[in-house]
Amino acid sequence: MLYRVIDDQELPALVEAFMEDYEVIAPVRSGASYAFHHVDSFDQIELDYTTTITSLKKYVLPPKETLFTFDADANEVTDFSLTVRPRVIFGAHACDINALNSLDLVFEDSRYRDPYYEARREGLLIVGISCSPTETCFCHLMEADEARTGYDLFLQDIGGRYLVSIGSVTGANVLESACNPREATDEDRIAFRQATRKRQDSFNKDIPDVQEIAMLMDAFHSDPFWDELGSRCLACTACSSVCPTCYCFDIADVLDADGRTGRRERVWDACTSPQFAMVTGGHNFRDSNRNRVRHRMYHKLNGFLATHDRMLCTGCGRCVRACKAHISPIEVLKFFEEKGA
Amino acid sequence: MSETVSLHGKRPRVIIIGLASCFGCQLQITNMEPHLLELLDQIDLVHWQLASSDPLPEAFDIAVVEGAVTTKEALETLRKVRRRASAVITIGACAATAGIPGMASRDFDDQVESVYGAEVPVAAGSLVRPMAVSAVIPVDWEVRCCPIDPADFMMALQRFLTGSNRLAPTATLCGECKRNERGCFYGRGQLCLGLVTRSGCGARCPNLGRPCNGCAGVSPDANVAAARVLAEEAGVPAQRFDVALQLFNATNEDVCPSGAR
Ligand code: SF4
Ligand code: SF4
Ligand code: SF4
Ligand code: SF4
Ligand code: SF4
Repeated sequence: MLYRVIDDQELPALVEAFMEDYEVIAPVRSGASYAFHHVDSFDQIELDYTTTITSLKKYVLPPKETLFTFDADANEVTDFSLTVRPRVIFGAHACDINALNSLDLVFEDSRYRDPYYEARREGLLIVGISCSPTETCFCHLMEADEARTGYDLFLQDIGGRYLVSIGSVTGANVLESACNPREATDEDRIAFRQATRKRQDSFNKDIPDVQEIAMLMDAFHSDPFWDELGSRCLACTACSSVCPTCYCFDIADVLDADGRTGRRERVWDACTSPQFAMVTGGHNFRDSNRNRVRHRMYHKLNGFLATHDRMLCTGCGRCVRACKAHISPIEVLKFFEEKGA
Repeated sequence: MSETVSLHGKRPRVIIIGLASCFGCQLQITNMEPHLLELLDQIDLVHWQLASSDPLPEAFDIAVVEGAVTTKEALETLRKVRRRASAVITIGACAATAGIPGMASRDFDDQVESVYGAEVPVAAGSLVRPMAVSAVIPVDWEVRCCPIDPADFMMALQRFLTGSNRLAPTATLCGECKRNERGCFYGRGQLCLGLVTRSGCGARCPNLGRPCNGCAGVSPDANVAAARVLAEEAGVPAQRFDVALQLFNATNEDVCPSGAR
């Protein structure tokens, strides 16, 4: 990995350089929280944001997208076409870069590639930025606190300046053209180490580290704990809406007013939706909040690990904030800490 | 799962009638201006109560019903409608949940007396305790909310013109609200019925900065008991939650039991 250092005064120029060829998406204020949004100037960006209400997922898997259109009179289905605006995400935290990496594993699986996802993903540059953990962050427990791949540039704040990890040629070129990147000095490296240590120390210590969580979950699949969790669930799907790695979707045809033309749409779906596992004939494979909440937690902390060797949960904490019923992976970790002890 | 109306190559004959309601949902249909003619092209609108005082036709395929049932006459009409129509679509909260008229269902006799005195005028009909249309006859599809979204009405008609196996959603509203990237009223100690209300409207009201009033009705999969506890935790007394629920769910015994609370 190549490292360079830039001054914080150089950031506006960096953003402006990206704006020449890309739509810039960055964290902005949204009520009492933050959201990723299109920005027109550097001043709109809140680089020291905590977390956003929803994730970057919407840029690769929109909440609603047209897959193709059809015309019954002409008996025609239009071929897939998608004009993607090249974008740069400016200011992604490590957990969210790792979330996109996990989505890649799903949608770019060579057995069933998803052209819609791939087109959007290909047009996406990522500039990461370092962060300070909030009360609800536990990415360090999910091995998602550091982005090893999946970015073009990563900016590590080392006090008045940034240590920039360069992850791609495009990233390097834009950096070169907009800033005066210099070699990192020993002093920079020391500052980097200090910043890293400070961050590691500031994670919420009330969230337990349960190394063997996946295994324990296998052993306690029928524990009354799941009944209790399910009894609180509102069946609202807020958890999956905000989650950066929930990738389930539904597909439906929508007709135009003339009843002859229309489009096939893909919309987000969620396993916490009561109808998610209902099949033709009306049987529901997960017919209670208990079974649905349990399923979600297993996919996040157990199932994905088995196939992809990493947790699907990145510990971003969004569902912790969004779930009114206080159902989240943190609750599961706490429960199994007690069980394991 | 809906089946298309059997047409034998003809355009389906459609009637639109209103029971106890403000006629706002029927007006919403006329508000579809850009699409109304395209839609009318596909059907044979044989009777629209808003535009005619003719009696109910003898034969039709699809009946669109607005409003709650509040009279014996309405009960009769609905039974007639159900016998004649292959598909019954209701529009609006009043038809789906008894809606605003449903609020009179509690202490019904007292309510009637306080409005009409001892003698109910003949023009009011023979009053019965307000009911949703589905409490009287089987309904094939309900277009929800107060008022309806014309696009939802269009989709409902198309269900029976072309067929569709899409289910009415039963997940509650907060998931849609989060997609709008909005904070939550409960964080500010305000009440919002999104916790238990059926999704489908796209969390329209919270997106406009107003709490959900629950006009889509409480979802059959809602967890009202848990929601009351959570509201209380967030500084909204459960009793206020119960009162708010009465606006659009007064005749739902599971949600607003006529006894306690
Ligand atoms: S499950 Fe929750 S904490 Fe984990 S990635 Fe999803 S939103 Fe973040
Ligand atoms: S947790 Fe549920 S909604 Fe999310 S990806 Fe897994 S199955 Fe899909
Ligand atoms: S777990 Fe929480 S956020 Fe998810 S559906 Fe249940 S109540 Fe909603
Ligand atoms: S504002 Fe209402 S609909 Fe939105 S999350 Fe809060 S309770 Fe749910
Ligand atoms: S947000 Fe609530 S009150 Fe508003 S339209 Fe939707 S269901 Fe009705």
